[in-house]
Amino acid sequence: MIEKRRLIRLVAVVTVFLAADLWVCTTLRGSFRGLMAESETKAIGLFSKTAPSGPAQVADWLSSAKEALPGARVLWLAADPASGGLVPAGGDASLAALATDSAAKADFDKGIDSAHYLEPSTSAKSYALPAAGGFLAARGRLQFAPVPDESGADARGALVVLSAGAVAARFDGLIIAMGLIAAAIFMAIYLVISLSRDPFMGFAILGLFAIVLVFVAYPLFESVRLTFMKDGALSLAVWKEILTPGYLGALWGSIRLGMVTATFSTFLGFVFAFVTERTSLKGRKFMTTMATLPVISPPFSLTLSIILLFGNNGLITKQLFGLKHFSIYGLGGLSVVQTICMFPIAFLTLSSVLKGIDSTVEDASLDLRASRMRTFRSITLPLALPGVLSAWLLVFTNSLADFANPLLLAGSYRVLSTEAYMAVTGQNNLGGGAALSLLLLLPTLTAFFAQRYWIGRKSYVTVTGKPSTRLTELASPAVRFALAAFVGLCIAFIISLYGTIVAGCFVKNWGIDYSFTLSNIPEALSRGWKSILDTVTLAAAATPIAGILAMIAALVVVRKAFPGKRILEALIMTPFAVPGTLIGISYILAFNKPPLLLVGTAAIIVINYVVRELPVGLEGGAASLRQIDPSIEEAARDLGADTPTVFRTVVLPLIRPAFISSMSYTFVRSMTAVSAIIFLISARWYHLTVQIYNFSELLRFGLASVLSTVLIIIVLLAFGLMRLLVRDDGLTEKSVSQ
Amino acid sequence: MKKNSVSVRLEGVTKRFRNTKGREDIVAVKASDFEVAPGELVTLLGPSGCGKTTTLRMIAGFELPSAGRILIGDQDVTMLTPDKRDKATVFQSYGLFPHMNVADNVAYGLRIRKTPKEEMARKVKETLELVGLADLADRAPGRLSGGQQQRVALARSLIVEPSVLLLDEPLSNLDALLREQMRVEIRKIQKALGITAVYVTHDRVEAMSLSDRVIVMKDGQIMQIGSPQEIYENPVTRFVAGFVGKVAFFPADIASGGERNWDCLLNGKHVHVERASAGLAVGSKAVVMARPESLRLTERGAGLIEGRVRMNVYLGNSIESFVDTPYGEVLVQVDDPASRKVFPEGSDVAVTFEPDRIRLLPE
Repeated sequence: MIEKRRLIRLVAVVTVFLAADLWVCTTLRGSFRGLMAESETKAIGLFSKTAPSGPAQVADWLSSAKEALPGARVLWLAADPASGGLVPAGGDASLAALATDSAAKADFDKGIDSAHYLEPSTSAKSYALPAAGGFLAARGRLQFAPVPDESGADARGALVVLSAGAVAARFDGLIIAMGLIAAAIFMAIYLVISLSRDPFMGFAILGLFAIVLVFVAYPLFESVRLTFMKDGALSLAVWKEILTPGYLGALWGSIRLGMVTATFSTFLGFVFAFVTERTSLKGRKFMTTMATLPVISPPFSLTLSIILLFGNNGLITKQLFGLKHFSIYGLGGLSVVQTICMFPIAFLTLSSVLKGIDSTVEDASLDLRASRMRTFRSITLPLALPGVLSAWLLVFTNSLADFANPLLLAGSYRVLSTEAYMAVTGQNNLGGGAALSLLLLLPTLTAFFAQRYWIGRKSYVTVTGKPSTRLTELASPAVRFALAAFVGLCIAFIISLYGTIVAGCFVKNWGIDYSFTLSNIPEALSRGWKSILDTVTLAAAATPIAGILAMIAALVVVRKAFPGKRILEALIMTPFAVPGTLIGISYILAFNKPPLLLVGTAAIIVINYVVRELPVGLEGGAASLRQIDPSIEEAARDLGADTPTVFRTVVLPLIRPAFISSMSYTFVRSMTAVSAIIFLISARWYHLTVQIYNFSELLRFGLASVLSTVLIIIVLLAFGLMRLLVRDDGLTEKSVSQ
Repeated sequence: MKKNSVSVRLEGVTKRFRNTKGREDIVAVKASDFEVAPGELVTLLGPSGCGKTTTLRMIAGFELPSAGRILIGDQDVTMLTPDKRDKATVFQSYGLFPHMNVADNVAYGLRIRKTPKEEMARKVKETLELVGLADLADRAPGRLSGGQQQRVALARSLIVEPSVLLLDEPLSNLDALLREQMRVEIRKIQKALGITAVYVTHDRVEAMSLSDRVIVMKDGQIMQIGSPQEIYENPVTRFVAGFVGKVAFFPADIASGGERNWDCLLNGKHVHVERASAGLAVGSKAVVMARPESLRLTERGAGLIEGRVRMNVYLGNSIESFVDTPYGEVLVQVDDPASRKVFPEGSDVAVTFEPDRIRLLPE
C-alpha cells in the first residue's frame, strides 16, 4: 500500500521534472538557434556586399566563401542581360542543379523576386544536397541575399546560400547532455531523500533551497552581473557612469533623508512609547492604536494628503495662507511624510523595550533619593539606549528603501531609489538602474547588520516572565501635561491626514473648485476596478503560499540540523534587507528571458510577494515554535504520525497565531506593495498602488483619494479579520510551553 | 487490552554526539547490552547526564544509535522512524497537545491508525476510566493539575496498545505525595496489562519501588543490572552503593581469604566479611560498605571505630545519628528508638556493625 503510493509519487515527480527539463532544453535550443540564424544571416549579408563587379573575379570571390561562411554551399545568380532575370553564374554545382529543378522552382522564383526588390529572403521549404566537392551532405533552407546594382534600384545579382548548421548541431548535443545530467542529479537527490528516514523534511529543505536559489540568489546575481557588462563583454562602464557626482549626490540625498527621518521618528516613537508605557495618562490604548496605524497605511496615501494640504494648490498653503513660494517638495516634505509613515516602527520597538525594563529599577533609584529627572536620565534612558539605536537604524533602513514617498514628493531632491526607477523606466538603462540600487544596498546592509548583530544583541531587556503591571510615575504633572499636549497634536495631525484623504473623495477639483461631488467615486471605481480586482486576486493568491511556506521554513530552521542551514536562512532573509527597487530590477533582468520567461505574468508578481514576505513569516513562526516544547511533536510522532501529519495536526494548530498573522501581514503588504511591483506589473496584471500613483501624477486627486480610501478599507478589514481569528487563542498560548 | 508481551534487546548500542566544533565527540552511551524480558519493568537509574534518557530515546527512535542494534521482539528497529515502532512513550514534560481536549489527546493515536468511530469512542472511555479521568474528557490539558496531566499522557500512550511502554522520568514534575501515588498506579496498570516497560529515573526510591530489575548507569556505561534488592544489598562498586542508598565506607586492607570468607584489617582490627565484589584479591586495597541500618552505636571501647555524636534527627520510627569519626561523618540509623538506648548529642561512642550485613568493595 505504502510502496504503491511511493511508486506513484515517484513516477509523478519524475514525469513533471522530465517535462520541465525538456521544456527548458527546447527553449534554450530554440533561442540559441534563433541567435545562430540571425548571426548567419548577418554574415551572409556582409559577404554578399563584397561581391565583385566584373564576372571575372566571381570564381575567386566564391571560393573565398569557404572562410567567410564555413561549411556553407553558395551559388551566385547574376543578371542575365538577355532575359533581365537572375540565372546561376558559378558556385556550388548541386545548388545550381537545384535552381533548375522543378521541385524548387517556386522557392527560387520567390527568392529571385524578392532579390529584385533588394529584399533578403529565406525559402519556405528545406532542401537536401548530396555530399560533393569536399562538402558534406546538408539539409536546410535556402537564403537569398541580393546585391544591388549601381542605380541602387535593382539587383545585379544574388547569393544563394545553404548553410551547414554544424555548430548548431554540436550545441544541440551539449544541451541534451546538460539536460540529461540535470535529470540524473535530480533523480539521485530524489532517491536519496525518499529513502532517508524523514523524506518530508528532506523535500522541504530541498524545495526551500530551490526556491531561494531561483528566486533570490539568481535574480540578484543577474543584476550584479549586468552592472559589469557592456554589449556582452566584461566592462566597468556602468559603474563609471554611476559613480559620478550626480548619482553620488543622490546617494548622499538618500542617506541624509534617512538620517533626518530616523532622528525625528525615533524621537516621536520614544515620546509615544514613554507616554504609553511609563505614565498613567488616560487614553493610552487609543494612543497606541494611532501610533501603529500609519504602519499599515498604503503608500502614496499620506503623501497624497500632504500634497492636498501643503502642495502648490494645497488647502493650507494656498487657501488658508495664500503662500506663493512655499514648496512642500523636497527634503522637508519628504522627511515629514516619512516620519509619519515610519515612526510606528520606532514606537513598536521602543515600547517593547520600555515594557521589558522592570520598573523596579526605577523604584530603586527613586528610593535612593534620585529625582525623577535624574532617574530618567541615569536609569531609564541608558537602559533603553540599545533600543533607541536599534529603532534609529530600523527607520534608517526603511527610509533608504522607501520608494513611494520620494516618487511623488521628492521634486528636485534626488534619492537613489527613484533614480534607479527613472533609469530603468525613463532611459531604459537596466544596468544603470541595477547599479544604482546596488549602491543603495551599501548603507542599507550596513545599517541592517549593525542593527541585527551588534545592537540587537546588546539588550538590557530583562525577561522576568511576568511583566509587572505596577507603574512608576516618572513624569511630573507639568511634564505630563507637555507630553500629553505634544502627543495630542501629533495624533490630531495624523487624523487630519487621513481625514484629508476621505475629504478628497468628495471634492470636485482640489485646489481650484472645492464644491461637493459624488462623481469621483463611480469614476474611480470604474477606472480602477480592474486594478482593485487584480491586486486583491494576486495578494490573495500569495497569502496562503507565503503563510504555509513560512511555517514549513520555520519548522525546518528550528527543529532540524543540516549542512547549509545558515546559508538557507541567510538567503531566505535576504529580501528583507534588500530594497524593493533592487528586487524589482533583478526580477525583470532574470525573468524576461528563457528558460524562465515570467515577466508580464501573474506568477512573477505572486512569487515576488511570497519571497519578500517569507522572512517576516519565518521569524514569527520560528519565534513561536521555539516556545513550544519539542516533546509535543515527539509525542505525536511516537503515536504513529509521520512528519506531514505532525505538521498538519500539531505544529500548524499550535503556531496558528503566527501562521495567521504571517498570512495577514503578507496580504496587507502585497496590497500595499509598490517598490518592486512597479517594475513587474503589465497591462494584464495591474496594481492598485500604481493606479493611485498614476492618478496623482495626472493631478486627478479625487480619483486617487477614492482608490486610497478603498485600499485603506481593504487593509483594515484584513487586519480586523486577523484579530478576530487570533483572539481566543489565549488558552493555546498559555499551555504551549509547559 | 492485554496482548502478547515482547522483549526489548539492546546489542552494543553506542551513541556519540558530534561536537559542534568538530573536535572531540561526546559519547553519551557506551556499548550498552541488556534485555528487557516480556512483561518486565526495567528501570534505567543514574545521575543526570549518564545516558539513560538517550538510551530511552534510541529505543523510541528519536535518536539514531552510532553503533549497535535495537530489537523490539524479533524485529530490528534500529533504523526505523519513531512512528514505525510498536511502542509508546510517556514524556517527562508529558507533551500533551494543548489545542485538543483530554479525549482528543487520548484518541490521537487511534485517529492516526484510522480506528472506526464507535470503537474509538469506546476505547477512549475505557482508557480514561482506567486512569480515573472519565469525567474530565472535555477539559483542555492546560486546565488540569499535574497529576491529571500525567494520567492523560499515560492514557494516550496506553490506548494504542503498544508492545512496549517507555517512560521518561514521568513523575519528576509532580509533588512528593502525588509521585508516590502515581508510582503505585503506574506499576498496577503495567502489571495488569502485562506490558513490557522501560522506565527512566534519577530517583532511587522510584526505581526501587517500581522495578523488576534496575540498570544503574554512569557516564554512558552500565554499572550494574539486578533486582532492586540485589542492587541495594550487593552493589558491585562504590558508585552503585552510594547511588541507590545511604551508605558509609571504611577503608580496609585485605589480609587473607577468598570466596565468602574474607579477613581484612579495618582501623587496625581484624574484621570478618562474608560478601565481596568480584575482582578482589589478598593485599589489595578495599572498602567496607555499611548501610545506616546495619550500623550500631555502643559505648567507647566496645566498638570498632571511635566517634562522637554530633546530631540526632528524630524521625518517629527511627533516629538518625550523625557521628563524627576519623573516617568522616557516619550516619547510623537507630530503629525503634523508644525501646533502645539513644546516645545524646555530644556523647562519645563507638561504631560497630553486623558482620553479615557488610560488604567488601574495591576501592
